[in-house]
Amino acid sequence: MPPLRALWRYLLPFALLLGEVARAQGPGETIEVQGERPRGSPQAPATAGTAIETAQFGGEVRSVAEMLLAAPGVSVHALGGPGQAATLSLRGASADQSLVLLDGIPLQGPGGGAVDLSTLPATLLERMVVSRGVLGAQFGAGALGGALELLPRTGRESWSGGAEVSAGSFGTARLALDAAMPVGNGNAVVALQGDRTDGNFEYARQLTPEIPGSPRYGFTRENADATRGSGLFRLSQELGSDLGLDLLLQGSAGLRGLPGPSSSPTPRSRELDQSGVGGMRLRGAAGDVGWSVRASGRLDRVELRGLRAFGDCDDGAPDCPRDDQRSSNLRAEGELAFPLGEANAFHALLTAGSDRIHGNGTGPHGRDVFSASIRDDLALPAGFSFHPGLRFDSVGEDAGLSPGLTAEWKPAAKHPLTLRAGWGLSFRAPTFSELYLERGGIAANPDLRPEHAWSVDAGAEWRTALLTLSATAFWSSYRELILYQLFPPARVKPFNVGEARIAGLELQAIVPLPARFLASVSYSFLDAVNRRDGHKLAYRPPHRLFARLARQGDRLEGYGEVSFTSALPRNAFDTAFVGSQVLVNAGIGVRAAGPLWIDLEAKNLLDNRTYEDLFQYPLPGLSIAVIARARF
Amino acid sequence: MKRLALPALLALPALLALIAACGGRYQAPPPVASIALPDGSQLKPYDPAQPGKARPQGLEQAAGRVYVTLSNQRDTDTFPVNAGPGFLATFVASTGAITLIDLGGSDGRQCQNPGFVRASADGRLYAPCSGNFSGADTARAIVEVDPLANIVTRRAAIPGGRVPNGVAVTANKIWTGDAFTTTVFSIDKTSFTADPAAPIPVDCAKSAFSYVADVMAIRGGLYALCGSDISGELYRLDPDSGAVLAHATVGPNPTELAGLDDGRIAVVNAGDNTLSLVTSSAGGLTAQKVLTFSSETAALQDVRAFGHILFTVASGNNTAQRIDLDAQGGPKVIGEANFGPGSGPYNILPLDDLQAIVSNRGTNTIAAATWVSVK
Repeated sequence: MPPLRALWRYLLPFALLLGEVARAQGPGETIEVQGERPRGSPQAPATAGTAIETAQFGGEVRSVAEMLLAAPGVSVHALGGPGQAATLSLRGASADQSLVLLDGIPLQGPGGGAVDLSTLPATLLERMVVSRGVLGAQFGAGALGGALELLPRTGRESWSGGAEVSAGSFGTARLALDAAMPVGNGNAVVALQGDRTDGNFEYARQLTPEIPGSPRYGFTRENADATRGSGLFRLSQELGSDLGLDLLLQGSAGLRGLPGPSSSPTPRSRELDQSGVGGMRLRGAAGDVGWSVRASGRLDRVELRGLRAFGDCDDGAPDCPRDDQRSSNLRAEGELAFPLGEANAFHALLTAGSDRIHGNGTGPHGRDVFSASIRDDLALPAGFSFHPGLRFDSVGEDAGLSPGLTAEWKPAAKHPLTLRAGWGLSFRAPTFSELYLERGGIAANPDLRPEHAWSVDAGAEWRTALLTLSATAFWSSYRELILYQLFPPARVKPFNVGEARIAGLELQAIVPLPARFLASVSYSFLDAVNRRDGHKLAYRPPHRLFARLARQGDRLEGYGEVSFTSALPRNAFDTAFVGSQVLVNAGIGVRAAGPLWIDLEAKNLLDNRTYEDLFQYPLPGLSIAVIARARF
Repeated sequence: MKRLALPALLALPALLALIAACGGRYQAPPPVASIALPDGSQLKPYDPAQPGKARPQGLEQAAGRVYVTLSNQRDTDTFPVNAGPGFLATFVASTGAITLIDLGGSDGRQCQNPGFVRASADGRLYAPCSGNFSGADTARAIVEVDPLANIVTRRAAIPGGRVPNGVAVTANKIWTGDAFTTTVFSIDKTSFTADPAAPIPVDCAKSAFSYVADVMAIRGGLYALCGSDISGELYRLDPDSGAVLAHATVGPNPTELAGLDDGRIAVVNAGDNTLSLVTSSAGGLTAQKVLTFSSETAALQDVRAFGHILFTVASGNNTAQRIDLDAQGGPKVIGEANFGPGSGPYNILPLDDLQAIVSNRGTNTIAAATWVSVK
């Protein structure tokens, strides 16, 4: 067999803001659209960021990935329709280079890297904060593109709850329940979400794309069904005047088909996943000193069935073994916050733990992790503030320092103008998958070194009751990038061969309108270049525009939105492109009786069935959903 | 009453819209006619419980028949393994009747995983067997087949550490490339043993990998194609000594080459989805990219020529293209065929300037191209 030839086809073996009033917010450039809420990310003051309130999407069937599209600087790589894998890219960084944290607990995919956003239940979350930039000093090694913080529902001082049920096209349905209650000297919240879809949408393809005007034919997506159940339990107890205890448990399990790209479908491949996250935090204060200690852990399991290196097979057949991959981590951390004089607020954090992986593809491996960080929030006269930080991370045999500095200037406390700037340098240790995964056409490389990156950004924000405008420009440099390369005779293997420069612009505008309407627009520009040959980096959209007009009233609500993604390079030589896409979504709802709302939502209103994701995974055409929800 | 009526009003259009959204509006794709290749026990598996699939590749014409190599491999959760001996299959297109030629010898292990097959001027067929790609197994060989008798006539073992890839039959030697290094080496045509001379380097710029994609005899000359992740280089070599006579840079990750009747050489570059034409002259080789395929065309695998019509295949989107080199404004795709999801066409053989057949490595079939043409 000749080696290497067109192996890629086989090795592919991956998709808002709404509110009534824009409120003042600071410090930082983090924009919130609704409500009087706490800051964007307390961990990363004065960084470029966007906060997304999930409640703003009431009456809409939204995944975490879909909600993130409202934020500038974010792109989502989705392998097909609802329930299928989706990963996050911040400022053109890869999914492995963007941290995802649940209530501060770092999440990881089964291979130790990219998190599949489709496994994160949207209705269990209250808020998401996207922080952009090389933020190793603030969030730890690995945050080369930034970090996504997922903040789960919080308890209330009185009983409250909600229920939502939806049904729509392609056999898609969701049931979500939550309840918050006072418990002891605190509160608790319980939330459940169940999702399912048949995923059997029709898509259209030109079978002979070289011939202009050749006909499109219709296909029905097969083996794209998905079923998922998720739960959250959160408990907060005040143990004394200055002592509290927080407990968080979250779990999710799903089963889905792995349909494969349209050119080479895999109708027999399936995936079973299970994950659990738990954390317990003791917090207190002694005078001006605040402290907390936390222990947390995570378990993940993914089992691939009927999947082989070059296609699918019959699950259960002797030559079709299941691929079982399990990973876990444990963390213990202590945090101290204390003022030093009137101008300085110090934060110190120590973390220690271990990561483990075990599976057919990787074998058993583990590595210890340790980090120590310190940050000063320095308030200076004339409206200046500085936030220098330094973090040391040790990940297995890799260790390094991540310095960072953000600064902000505001002419006066209530002045609408805020200027900010930031710089950061950090690294990312290779994931377990990159180091050890031998599966299908993928080869391991235990000799990989960490990736390194630094970035600088600067921005301005103008915030009034009538208008919020923000603009940020950034420039980042990556070296020792780990890229999968064809590896003789017929596999791909990761190597430290990449050097890249990514620059860009992030714009956002939010305008409250009369009659409780709110308009928001975000735009992202990316110029991602391979520094070795000057070609554009594949799979980074140069332009992304999101515009939304929504209304939330007492009896009537609705929204309309447009999402545009420009054509993006498909290969590393500027000669093949994924076409541009325009998605139009809209919804309308009424309060039918008491707290009961009935909504009707349509996605991809233009019913374009020709769209596909980066790896030839078809995307669904028009879909309709009916949503009933009530909050008590 | 009024409140309750609102959801009802909403529900009705919702139901109507649901129905509308579920409707199909595109025509179903046309069926593709193909000939199934032998599978399973027909391919003499070493373990009957674990038979292989044909996994057809190289195509050649000889003695009035069409021949195709069968890798005879079994898929696993890692790399495909050789499930039995390599085969050549010859068939009559009009009837679909297939004859198998076992290349594995008496123990079935003298040739595994044949890829290319090429005919010599005297009508013999030669196929390189790549074995298990370890470079250490005894199933690596060049086999010679008499197409008149459909039997293996000679076998040349491959020196340790080398994995043959591509085959070129010249007047005195049989040349092949090494899949592990960027070198070519020869087999003496008379003794049918590997020449003791050191392999000849045919490098190309790389950042991660490079290898010899193919070697080919064209109009009395010997050519070798070096492919890498970022580049490609076409070499012209002395057919007797292998000395480098000239070379030219083509596109990244070139996969195949084909000689034209006017002396030019066509090269398909899978890396950047392009077609290069290389002109040979006394001063050397000059390469020019003459065509960039559409963004949907992916993983170019093969190129063949019939006059000034080129035929290419792209396994990534299961298509073959028919290209007119003399079209107004430069080379142009004038016809395209699709062989269906998962077919994975790997090689193409033109029967004339219109008809061509492909070997579908994904579906283990041979299929004739039904062209959709430019109007």
